[in-house]
Amino acid sequence: MLKVWKMKKQQASDEKTKPRNSAAKIRIQKDISELDLPSSISITFPNEEDLLKFEVVIKPDEGYYKNGSFHFRFSISENYPHDPPKVQCTQTIYHPNIDLEGKVCLNILREDWKPVLNLNSVLIGLQFLFLEPNPDDPLNKEAASELRSNLQSFKRKVTRSMGGEYMDNVYYTKVTV
Amino acid sequence: MKIIVKSITAHAKWAWKTTTNDICGICRLDFEACCPDCLYPGQTCQIVEGACGHIFHVHCIDKWLNSENSQNLCPMDRLAWKKLQ
Repeated sequence: MLKVWKMKKQQASDEKTKPRNSAAKIRIQKDISELDLPSSISITFPNEEDLLKFEVVIKPDEGYYKNGSFHFRFSISENYPHDPPKVQCTQTIYHPNIDLEGKVCLNILREDWKPVLNLNSVLIGLQFLFLEPNPDDPLNKEAASELRSNLQSFKRKVTRSMGGEYMDNVYYTKVTV
Repeated sequence: MKIIVKSITAHAKWAWKTTTNDICGICRLDFEACCPDCLYPGQTCQIVEGACGHIFHVHCIDKWLNSENSQNLCPMDRLAWKKLQ
């Protein structure tokens, strides 16, 4: 019995001294090492010590947004993978599912997030938004209704906005390279 | 011939009885390792199987089921989570 107490004490003191990586860090490290991305998606770490914050660039190789280079800031909360990654577009772009402040509407980043999803699935999902913008789940309602009602005009507006210019009093970031 | 055994070192290997994959889909660590919130594997960090056949660390699945988003669904297949007895 005495020995059990001794062991318990030892365990408790181990707990205090053992340097612990947070669950979120352990998990994101795994996610990063398992990334299997197409050449159209790249990821960079501004601070290599901090794996919870990074930047992602998507260069769609087909679709309305071809030739664009779209930048996103990712931030992983300490509650990952129970909370989804936070994703913000750092440019002002014309897209039915991304508003002018850069908020992104993607089901797996919100209501359909599950902890068994990983970073790879989020990045592929984000790229998919540029290949198939979804007018039924809009954040930029004007762009969504344009996509639904007048495809030609939508395409023109996408191309114009990507070149970097004023459209309806909004200055869109130049995203073409 | 006479042999005197001076010392022996015993080793043991243990594993949970599972039929399927060997990592927890939530934390992506081995079932035989502990969940990221625990320090020691084994009795204190057990695994649990759902009626759907998916297995997780008890702590991982409980944390998920307690979150608003989960709606009590298995994170793998979105079927209602029911603990297999």
